[in-house]
Amino acid sequence: MDERAILDHQFVVAAYAITWILQLGYLAWLGLKWRSEKRNAERRSHQTR
Amino acid sequence: MKKLAFTLFPAITIALMIWGYYQAIYVAPEEQTMHEAQRIFYYHVPSAMVAFLFFAVSLCGSIGYLTWRRSKPDWAQASDAWALAGAEVGVVFCTVVLITGPLWGRRAWGIWWTWDARLTTTLVLWLIYVSYLLLRRFAAGPQMQTLAAVLGIFGALDVPIVYMSNRWWRTQHPAPVFGGGPDSGIKDPAMLAAFGWNVLAWLCWGLLILFLRYHVERQHQRYAAAEAEEALTSA
Repeated sequence: MDERAILDHQFVVAAYAITWILQLGYLAWLGLKWRSEKRNAERRSHQTR
Repeated sequence: MKKLAFTLFPAITIALMIWGYYQAIYVAPEEQTMHEAQRIFYYHVPSAMVAFLFFAVSLCGSIGYLTWRRSKPDWAQASDAWALAGAEVGVVFCTVVLITGPLWGRRAWGIWWTWDARLTTTLVLWLIYVSYLLLRRFAAGPQMQTLAAVLGIFGALDVPIVYMSNRWWRTQHPAPVFGGGPDSGIKDPAMLAAFGWNVLAWLCWGLLILFLRYHVERQHQRYAAAEAEEALTSA
């Protein structure tokens, strides 16, 4: 494998990895936000009872 | 039935993502001039397409909010939730575009960035929607949703400019892949298939997180409305 091919491969790996880190990171943040909203709703329903 | 759809759709999406990755890395042949770096295209272009689609969702939501904010408050709130979900998920995809693009550009052109029309208008689009999200995060008061809806409509006006930029102006960015004249289009069937599978996979993934974001925002709206009502009754 020549140097150009190695660099090309590294750039492809970087692009795919960054894409997945961003998408999964956002999904994780969304999951945390969902859990927090759910807890708020549960706390409210306990208070109003 | 609804529960089955909620389980089935994520499962199909994950299967499509794996299949799309396999097609892009192992099945699609290596392009002759750009070699392996061209494979970035299979994530870059579908992300741009999905970002544009979700900014259009945000535009529809913003128009819906402004239309129904007085006559149908519940419809307006649902529209506002779609506007926010579209803008936020669109920004995620647009960020992917702005990162994978320079990675490809570095290998193909030897530079990370150039201020040509396509790249600059895409950056402006991203900045407009980031400012939309910042406005929603930090502004308070009853006018916030209206201001955000106006900004959402204003931001969406940049989408056709981004799309047409490499047709209207001479740019460093490659010519349009589709609809750019007689020479445009992907000629190799294996490359076209890999591209098509990745468009489908990213669209499904995007829809999944868009619906999830909408659901979270509606939950937040209901909680905020109940809090406000309680504050009014106890005052």
